[in-house]
Amino acid sequence: MNKQSITQYYRKHRKAIVTATSGLLYGGGWSLGYLTSFEMASAAILVLATIVGGYDIAKTAYHEVTNRTLGIKTLVTLAAIGAIVIGEYWEAAAVVFLFSLGSYLEGRTMRKTRTALQELLEMTPDTATVRHDGELQEVPAREVEESEVVVVKPGGKIPVDGDVIDGESAVNQAPVTGESAPVHKADGDEVYAGTVNQEGALEIRTTGAGSDTTLERIIRRVEEAQEAQSPTESLIDRFAKYYTPAVIVLAIGAYAVTQNAILSLTLLVIGCPGALVIGPPVSIVSAIGNAARSGVLMKGGEHLERAGKIDLVAFDKTGTLTKGETTVADVEGFGVADDEVLSLAATAEKKSEHHLADAIVDAARERPTAATDGGTTVARADDTDAGRRSVPDPDDFDVVAGKGVIGHTDGQEVVVGNRALLADRGIDIPSRVADYVREREGRGETVVHVVRDGDIVGAIALRDELRETAPSVVAALQDAGIETVMLTGDNKRTAAAVAEEVGIDEYRAELLPEDKQTVIEGYQADGHVVAMVGDGINDAPSLATADVGIAMGAAGTDTAIETADMALMADDLERIPYAVKLSKATRWNVLENVGLAVLTVTVLLAGVLTSYVTLAAGMLVHEASVLLVILNGMRLLRY
Amino acid sequence: MSDTTQFRVLDFDCPSCASTVERALSNVAGVQHVEVHYATGRVEIEYDDSVADPDAFVQTIESQGYTPQTA
Repeated sequence: MNKQSITQYYRKHRKAIVTATSGLLYGGGWSLGYLTSFEMASAAILVLATIVGGYDIAKTAYHEVTNRTLGIKTLVTLAAIGAIVIGEYWEAAAVVFLFSLGSYLEGRTMRKTRTALQELLEMTPDTATVRHDGELQEVPAREVEESEVVVVKPGGKIPVDGDVIDGESAVNQAPVTGESAPVHKADGDEVYAGTVNQEGALEIRTTGAGSDTTLERIIRRVEEAQEAQSPTESLIDRFAKYYTPAVIVLAIGAYAVTQNAILSLTLLVIGCPGALVIGPPVSIVSAIGNAARSGVLMKGGEHLERAGKIDLVAFDKTGTLTKGETTVADVEGFGVADDEVLSLAATAEKKSEHHLADAIVDAARERPTAATDGGTTVARADDTDAGRRSVPDPDDFDVVAGKGVIGHTDGQEVVVGNRALLADRGIDIPSRVADYVREREGRGETVVHVVRDGDIVGAIALRDELRETAPSVVAALQDAGIETVMLTGDNKRTAAAVAEEVGIDEYRAELLPEDKQTVIEGYQADGHVVAMVGDGINDAPSLATADVGIAMGAAGTDTAIETADMALMADDLERIPYAVKLSKATRWNVLENVGLAVLTVTVLLAGVLTSYVTLAAGMLVHEASVLLVILNGMRLLRY
Repeated sequence: MSDTTQFRVLDFDCPSCASTVERALSNVAGVQHVEVHYATGRVEIEYDDSVADPDAFVQTIESQGYTPQTA
């Protein structure tokens, strides 16, 4: 080893070396103390141990004093100097050694917590292969510009955010969304930096690189979340501000009254509320870090602590419990051909952005040109290519929120909507229509009526498949003692059928968007701590009203991340029981840590004041309690 | 002009150490705003780049006994 590498080694391991040396000296001095004739040598070695171990502590203490902060290192330095002054060399060396050992171990364990997120960032490759005028060039990933085309080989990591313009592959998005199953990607699909291209080559048009990628944005948010103080943390910080000066005053007072120097110095040693201030942040940082690696973005300790109290989870039905891919299941004409019913409805709905409207318009386009089951052929002259029919624009149309649409075409008025809309307009529903509707709703389908010039001419049943995971997720929450509720704009019968299929405790149907907020407020008034799960865009108001708003499929949609307290990067319902349980575990963990710290301080104070605990023992217990809360908090990293 | 830089200090061993570093950094000439987070070890410094020299930040952190890494 040359001189330079020795210096480097020393700098890197300075804390360990200093601690070990001070420990060895301490051990030596202490053993020598048992030999009567070596008392002077023993004292000298113990003082040396104190100086070796205490130099760095004293240096920081000096900085603390010059920067007018009152930290534990100042207290430890004072205690060590005091112990030497009164001739308690053993105590001085022991305090310094135990403190160095403790802070060395604390630094090491905290490093693990602090680097938990770094692993995610390291997923992004440093270089990217860019296509420039038909030639491939290797460039630093951070320097790729927007709209440049990046080529990623099979097995390669994707270096930028972008849209696939060529190729087809399965991409493992675990670093961003936490999903372990690869996602199929083809033309036009969005891919994220840091994800892994598993099968075929992909060409990607860059939309973001460097610090402007989804992964980097998520990590920045996670760090902000980790740094945001939870209510417990702010409370403890306020307490700590007074605690340390109070203990110093107590130490001075104790000396004035008892003239017992050891007692006063011991008070100084335990005068830093170590475990109390360290415990909660470690728990919260570990939990948020763990969640981030599983594709759940928690917005901060405050939200996490609140989420730990959740006792009711409300799910929006469409797109949350269901896949949100509504398709037409059946069309029934009453005195009119099925196809004509669909055409009329599609025209009226064409300009609407509602998901039911999209399904109806799509179905009308996909229908074969000649009607097969109606008798009347309604083929039109303007049929487009590939057997897709065009849907004419309505002359005008109005949306009645939560009820349906009213449009005009070819001089006819077409109303497409639910019972409420028909009732509003005074349209009677014949019994055979009502029978049909009841039958379809019993299967969990949503039915809209199609009305032409005041007469019901047909009905369209629409179906939105449940997510396969929905029943098991609801069951997992119920097992954890949490009530589940489904909120939907659908009618009661459809809602009941879906609720039964999912196994959910309760459902609230026929809700207009603003009603969902009211329902949540109602549960809150009943004393529930409510989490609301939705898509984060349409449900933004109810997510904001709930105690904890959980947005699904948030990767890439900043609005959803903004409004929610918790965002699931993937459309993966199974993260919800995980997130709720993690929050509960975190809340317990914080309580355990606070409890342990308070217990330690109480026992120590009592011990010191009754002279059972002296300097070294006080320091040992203090450091042990700090390490214990850190290790306890870190359990959440592996939850 | 105002500029922002970040460091990561992985070896903070107590919350009060983080506050001390924060105070020390805010006394460096040209520094407008400093945030030091104990839990994540993140140090964020906003400074006037015509006055302050980022090397001085590294030195200040090192003189307190901690190792800053660029992040």
